[in-house]
Amino acid sequence: MAAGGTTDRAVGSGSWIEQRTGVGPVMAALLHVRIPMSARTMYFGGIALFLFGIQVVTGTLLALYYKPTPEAAYESVQFVTSDVSFGWLIRSMHHWAANLMILFVALHLLRVFFQAAYKYPRELTWVIGGGLLLVTLGFGFTGYLLPWDQRAYWATVVGTDIAGSVPVVGDSLLQLLRGGADVTGDTMSRFFGIHVLVLPLALAGLMAIHLVLVHQLGLANPKKPEPRVRPAAVDREPLRPFFPNYLLDEVVAWYVILAILVVLASVFPAGLEGQANPLETPAHIKPEWYYLAVYQLLKIIPRTIAVMAPIIGIGLLIAWPFLDRNPEVLARRRKLAVAGATLVVVGVIVLTVWGYVS
Amino acid sequence: MFGRRSPAARGVRAALTLGVLGLAWFALAFTAAAQDPSGSPAASSSTEATPSPKATPAPSDFDWLFATPLPTATVPLASAPPVPAPLTHAPADGANGCYDCHSVVNDKQAAIAADWQDSAHGQAGVTCADCHGGDPRSDQITVAMDPSNGFVGAPDRLGSVGLCGSCHADVNRMKASGLPTDQYAKYWSSVHGQQLLTADDNRVAICTDCHGSHTVKKVSDPSSPVFILNVPELCAGCHADADRMAPYGIPTDQYAIYSKSVHGVALLDNKDVRAPSCASCHGSHDAKPPTSATVVGVCGKCHTATEDLYQQSRHSELQAAAPQCWTCHGTHDVTQPGSYMFFHPTPPEYTCDTCHDLQTHTLRLELSRFTNEADRRCDTCHHPDSQIYAQIDGISNAITSAEDAYTQAQDTIQRAAGLGMITSDAEVKLTDAKTSLIQAQAAVHTTKLSKIAELSTDATTKAQAAEAIATGKIDESVFRREAMVVVLAFIAFNALFLYVLKRRLDRDLEKG
Repeated sequence: MAAGGTTDRAVGSGSWIEQRTGVGPVMAALLHVRIPMSARTMYFGGIALFLFGIQVVTGTLLALYYKPTPEAAYESVQFVTSDVSFGWLIRSMHHWAANLMILFVALHLLRVFFQAAYKYPRELTWVIGGGLLLVTLGFGFTGYLLPWDQRAYWATVVGTDIAGSVPVVGDSLLQLLRGGADVTGDTMSRFFGIHVLVLPLALAGLMAIHLVLVHQLGLANPKKPEPRVRPAAVDREPLRPFFPNYLLDEVVAWYVILAILVVLASVFPAGLEGQANPLETPAHIKPEWYYLAVYQLLKIIPRTIAVMAPIIGIGLLIAWPFLDRNPEVLARRRKLAVAGATLVVVGVIVLTVWGYVS
Repeated sequence: MFGRRSPAARGVRAALTLGVLGLAWFALAFTAAAQDPSGSPAASSSTEATPSPKATPAPSDFDWLFATPLPTATVPLASAPPVPAPLTHAPADGANGCYDCHSVVNDKQAAIAADWQDSAHGQAGVTCADCHGGDPRSDQITVAMDPSNGFVGAPDRLGSVGLCGSCHADVNRMKASGLPTDQYAKYWSSVHGQQLLTADDNRVAICTDCHGSHTVKKVSDPSSPVFILNVPELCAGCHADADRMAPYGIPTDQYAIYSKSVHGVALLDNKDVRAPSCASCHGSHDAKPPTSATVVGVCGKCHTATEDLYQQSRHSELQAAAPQCWTCHGTHDVTQPGSYMFFHPTPPEYTCDTCHDLQTHTLRLELSRFTNEADRRCDTCHHPDSQIYAQIDGISNAITSAEDAYTQAQDTIQRAAGLGMITSDAEVKLTDAKTSLIQAQAAVHTTKLSKIAELSTDATTKAQAAEAIATGKIDESVFRREAMVVVLAFIAFNALFLYVLKRRLDRDLEKG
């Protein structure tokens, strides 16, 4: 196979690395992923992975200077932005990559849903992906507080207040998130710990499982459902080599994203408002864009319903492969699911824009 | 003449002795009564000294505005009546028959009773009988409202002031509540009090007109008519009424003018309780317009630093010809001061008597020239050919150049912030510049060019330092965008190379 042959050349049986690691067969196996020719992933998942890589690198660099206490956090961020060589670039890249990562995780989810790539045998891949979505949103929520400026502080007050509205467990959840009744240094400590230790480990673990499953199951064919039994002998579906063809496509997509990141970081660098002041409430506190839909929903329907709706919605989303009994994958043969999903997406976009302009 | 110690002689001697002793006693008694000041019943219970007539204010240069003659040196203040004794009534032991009946007798009385209950008096246990007399133990009209039981009803306007004063001027009675006790004495010194005393004018304000009668609330209560935010509207209730003010010849546009002034906007629109209301300048219980002798002190109550600066100026030494606060800033129509106040767009007309009294050849200040805000300029008095005008020109240039430097720095910082740069360090420097600029602007009151120039130069230097920081950030932003183009070109080259490779591989795959 072309992929295996290429791999053999790179780490061939006689090469220096192969002789000392025996990694050839492992690489050959890893680089063999079943990709139907008709697969159209738009590389969203790979881009999300790339952006996570960016976050790990830039986040590590930022952690060298960041001081996670209310007294020092703001100044340390200011120092990184103003005085550290390329500190502004690292911080801005981290800021924009976070936003783009959430966007591309959402786009990846939509792509998988509309192509029905969550159906047999990829139900578990979908469930793990749901976990990845929640972890990504958790990254956004915990990281937002760390600069400790007015926007960060008050958005966290509002966000944790919303969490406190969950029936039954709301008060306990609020105390757990804040480390007390109010947003204080205790909140910052646990948010920092969660952001740089708990969530990266969780994401890495879930990502590893997700990638293993993708590797084992291959990519879905958007034109026909996966057969329950695949007799290898009669498998005539045309395939595309993962290495180097598909991987090359991914890398080009990553370069495009990198270019977008560079433009965003240079033209719209990450800002910093005034230092957090618990005694001064800003006039209009709004969460970041990815929570605006929930924020706007809270303004128009009763609080409990508005808090429970997204929770129940995400629960349904994660359990969807087990609820959707239709074996079809073509959109025209699953009109109800596609229409419902379109409606939800349009609703979320409308709520987000409404929350932005209100 | 009479025989030795005859009975008749002894009798005459005794009568004469008694007569002399009686005269002596009478003389002593008569003298003691003349020195005893306790001629009125109230004085014996009051520890307040009878208020002596206050020093008459000097004639105000704005007195011509008022038709009502103010007390002057030749017309002393009428003496205030002594504080009357409070009304007494039978101890009620918590009973309030007045309220019990009046709260149900009809709607109007019920409303009054409810008002009283919510009032400061109601909350403090000051009951109906404490003001109206009568017997609060009974709810029967023939008993409770019997004049023989002390019922006095609603007093007349003059009596009403005394009724309020009978408690509120009593130091011992007010001790528990911590309220001041000088209102009664101050009221009689005010224009309102003097009119009531001397002219028996029942149209002037008394205690209940401002504080209410049954609805008296604490001054600190936002719903009270005398709460600071409500004071201008309260005063305007009479002073903006043309019919009411017609007999006095007093203008009625003060509230309208004040509401547009910096003070009025601050108090009425921005709800800033530090801003002055009518009472802040005119007094409340001792309400009367400030005079030229007092106006600097009145403004200086809040503008303390500015008063100190003014006292250093040549203006403050000029006595009768001295421009004072209101000369340049107006009274009710105080506007935001600025460097526009130095000169007219074109110099006004000047004649000798603009500045000089032709009879006495002394300096004079013709106040009518400053009635319009547009004429409150330095060159209203100071001729363009004069030495002082050159000094004013220097002051104006110094202030204007500092203001321009500040505005320029502010614009540069905004541009840098608009490019996404963090400008907090430049903003901190700009705040320093603002402080120096404010000091320079305030120093105009000293009329000393050297001091103003020094502060202006300091402000300009600091503003330029702030601008330099912001300019550096703009340059950094420009550099980043230029570098971005280079990096994008590198990325595009790599991406294009990989894309070309991908296309070749895809073609090979299709062929294969």
